[in-house]
Amino acid sequence: MKLKVYADRMSQPARAVIIFCKLNGIDYEEVRVDISKLQHLTPEYSEINPMKQLPAIVDGRFKLFESHAILIYLACSYPGIPDHWYPADVCKRSEIHSVLDWHHSNLRRGPGIIYQNIISMPVIGRRFNPEAVAEGEKFLSASLSKIESFWLKDKGQFLLGGNKPSIADLSLVCDIMQLEVLDEADRDRLLGPYKKVEQWIENTRSAANPHFDEVHKILLKVKEKRQNLRLKGANNEGGGSAMKKPLLSRI
Amino acid sequence: MVLKVYADRMSQPSRAVIIFCKMNGIDYEEIKVHISKGQHLTSEFAEINPMKQLPAIVDGRFKLFESHAILIYLACAFPGVADHWYPADVSRRSRIHSVLDWHHSNLRRGAAPYVFNTTIAPVLGRPLNPQAAAEAETILTSSLSKLESFWLKGNGRFLLGGNQPSIADLSLVCEIMQLEVLDEKDRARLLDPHKKVQQWIENTRNATSPHFDEVHKVLMKAKEQLQYQRLKAAKNEGGSYMKKPLPSRM
Repeated sequence: MKLKVYADRMSQPARAVIIFCKLNGIDYEEVRVDISKLQHLTPEYSEINPMKQLPAIVDGRFKLFESHAILIYLACSYPGIPDHWYPADVCKRSEIHSVLDWHHSNLRRGPGIIYQNIISMPVIGRRFNPEAVAEGEKFLSASLSKIESFWLKDKGQFLLGGNKPSIADLSLVCDIMQLEVLDEADRDRLLGPYKKVEQWIENTRSAANPHFDEVHKILLKVKEKRQNLRLKGANNEGGGSAMKKPLLSRI
Repeated sequence: MVLKVYADRMSQPSRAVIIFCKMNGIDYEEIKVHISKGQHLTSEFAEINPMKQLPAIVDGRFKLFESHAILIYLACAFPGVADHWYPADVSRRSRIHSVLDWHHSNLRRGAAPYVFNTTIAPVLGRPLNPQAAAEAETILTSSLSKLESFWLKGNGRFLLGGNQPSIADLSLVCEIMQLEVLDEKDRARLLDPHKKVQQWIENTRNATSPHFDEVHKVLMKAKEQLQYQRLKAAKNEGGSYMKKPLPSRM
């Protein structure tokens, strides 16, 4: 029985799991659970994951949720996965655990909140919360600072001084990619100060291509649609004043 | 060079790491870093953990922070640690990872800010925040429900149907123990509906005795002091204190 991966490619952790499977030749069936249609809230999906979140996997009779746990499980259970994804060395592995744990309480609380409020909540009829967005931005900037100054402080191309990507790089970069749906000026404002972070995103993308780009297509489509809407709106307003307003007022 | 554990026993994840070391006979030196005195914010401690949080360890030249990462490291790096703490079996181990990950965004995100914003903040010179407390309470009650109905389902004495404790039991129970400093009625209101949770806390405490109680002494002293202050305040208000809802009693 093939591995089943329950995913919505608009979900950052779901993308990390799918890209990992593709990169490592893991045979799987992607079962699409559309968050925008609230399919993650159905009783059927609760049988898979009672926490009603994505991603989740079913491997034979074994069910698992939480993307970090899934990535580790796949790295350990499937043959032929290169060591750099989840090293056998206890110290290197522990450092990866520490950045994955840090991620939960830091970076993950940034792009996710901003994205939810700007994109997914309006889609499901919930009101966007400017305070939540402001808090999301605060978490995001603090986290990007820490990645720039600490997690990327050594000479490697990846987190923790690595010269090859680990599951931590995949997880964190997929999270930051959620910012692609923002207005270019906002994205630049948020990411621009962090040169090492930008280079690292590019390194991870290159190391994980062509799968990285393919799995992110849906997100980039959303980005395009929003850009077209903004251009339309700017044309109607008589040219370009939209771009100078801060994020919150442009929603 | 002996393992160094930088900890404050008022910190839930610090307690989990210390109890784990004691249970498994891991030789270590406990270096107290007092949060209430701002010692975690010093430049010296930043050399140990630039995130300025506890716990952190230094094992020879290897530094590590984030308590789950530390517990896993200790379980793997030190000889003689019994398998039930962090099983070698990939599926069992993965389930432990999933509850530890869930903990970050759920129980921890509920319990810690709730206790802080209703009780502990003034001790650290910060104001109480009833709105943050209310938001945290929602997450906390939902998390306790999920523990009762999902993580403790089945006949085991511990999480995930286990009959012996894992690092996940230690981590999550130490988190819930922080509720000890709340007003008794508030604590009862939050925990009473969850019989399995209460039994599980007791199971974990027994399984890690006598270290569990010893490491929690500091917390229990804080609980006593806070109870005394509440009684004093009640007497000063002429006994009407006890009937008011929680936020106005702070």
